[in-house]
Amino acid sequence: MNQHYISIRHLSKKFNKDFVLKDVNAELQKGEILGFLGPSGAGKTTTIKILTGQLLPTSGDAEVLGIPCDRIDERIYEQIGIVTDVSGVYERMSVYDNLKYFARLLNVPLKEIDPILKRIGLYEHRKKPASKLSKGQTQRLILARAILHKPKVLFLDEPTSGLDPSTALEVHKMLMELKAEGMSIFLTTHNMEEATKLCDHVALLNEGVIVEYGTPEEICLKYNKVKKYKVQLTDGTKHFLEQSPQAAEQIAQWMGASRIETIHSCEPTLETVFLEVTGRELQ
Amino acid sequence: MKTAKNNTAAVKASDVRALRMRPVHLRKLAAITEVKGKALFSKNFIIMPIFSIGFTFLMKVVYDRIAEGALDMSAYALSLGVLMNILMEGIYCTAAALAEEKEKNTLRTLMTSSVNGLEFFLGSFIPVLLMCTAVNVLCALIAGVSMDTSQWAAYLAVATACAAISTVIGMIFGIYAKTQVSASTITTPALLVLMMLPMFSGFSEILEQISGFLFTGIVFEAIANINSGLPVIDIQSGVILSAEFILSVILFLALYRKNGFER
Repeated sequence: MNQHYISIRHLSKKFNKDFVLKDVNAELQKGEILGFLGPSGAGKTTTIKILTGQLLPTSGDAEVLGIPCDRIDERIYEQIGIVTDVSGVYERMSVYDNLKYFARLLNVPLKEIDPILKRIGLYEHRKKPASKLSKGQTQRLILARAILHKPKVLFLDEPTSGLDPSTALEVHKMLMELKAEGMSIFLTTHNMEEATKLCDHVALLNEGVIVEYGTPEEICLKYNKVKKYKVQLTDGTKHFLEQSPQAAEQIAQWMGASRIETIHSCEPTLETVFLEVTGRELQ
Repeated sequence: MKTAKNNTAAVKASDVRALRMRPVHLRKLAAITEVKGKALFSKNFIIMPIFSIGFTFLMKVVYDRIAEGALDMSAYALSLGVLMNILMEGIYCTAAALAEEKEKNTLRTLMTSSVNGLEFFLGSFIPVLLMCTAVNVLCALIAGVSMDTSQWAAYLAVATACAAISTVIGMIFGIYAKTQVSASTITTPALLVLMMLPMFSGFSEILEQISGFLFTGIVFEAIANINSGLPVIDIQSGVILSAEFILSVILFLALYRKNGFER
């Protein structure tokens, strides 16, 4: 039986007279990554704030680990980890002491700090004040702090925003490892590659409304109306062919003559789907 | 399950949730107290107790020279040092430390890491109170005010009660201060009023009366009484101190429940 770690039903949030979330529905199961994908101002951070008990919804319900989000207190925080774009570190304290502080708060044995520091690649910097870390290292420290107590659900708000590509890849690798270990992850991002690569399900969010919901493959295939193929021949020429008997014949001819270098289907990406549905770009 | 209607009402009461008060876990309290205590020794905050101690020493030397032994001004030097200590450390340091947590985005992280409001409050309150008390003892030794055991006990009791009141007031200012600079800006007028009124109470009967209703005025008067061999405080002053402590806690709780630690 599927275990819902997060359940969002008809969630809406209004600031003054403006809705920032409208009738949002989604579910996160154990060991899954659910991505909320949308541009700035789409309502992603508001969703995380509601789910983590930092904001109350205007209407609708949301539950995290079976607890309604308007009743979340410090006991639930022992079972979830949160990384937001405004998560801070104690700059005067060393990397190790930052983790030691939260280990004491979360009742985590101190012997578990070093393995985590090694895992995130900060063991060599453990005595360095947090103020001396680079942005990528600080983000890894924040992530380490969020997973220190092995939470059941990890909330990540734009975890790779502003990181260089190699650090972002390291974060992706770590998230896949955490997922493999059974952790459920709620991720917000405006990076469609990240969402496609990491998420089991994504919700495309635009102006507070989920415009599409499903697996990245399902969503992309749904909008794959004109089936196109990109063929590059051995002479370097590129051809885009729409699915038809004539195109099949042409491809068969090239194939028979061993002229095909590469052939790819051209299904839409999440970004092109988002653009098609909303008329807006994700970035 | 709550209905949409119920949730709407809750949002109107407070958009950002003020976390509910919960039982205190000693493990968490010890961790917060230790970290907050260490923060008081950082360059941003340690200047305040050093300044209070230095000021007491300076006043002692200056007044001794002016009085040339004809008058014992040690109690006055101590009063100024204690006032400075309980105000600058109790109010300013507490407010600035809370503002720093907001400025560096660590407060929200802490409050979403299984720490409840009461644990954070006590963890912030205890180190400041201990530091204030230690500095008050040092100031008394530096000023050279002669006290017997009961006078020492009374002095520490009154000074510690005043430090507790000013620390709670500091937490109230901290709720409103978003940055350390704003903490400094909003606490300065209060610091000046609370310090100047007792200092100038000798020049005006009205100021003296007002000062008698302030915790700073009461500690100022208590130190003068110790030096004169009079009872340290009367019942009225004791009642005022208790009332001011209770009122400051109630005000803090009301503001905290409305705003959390972040307005």
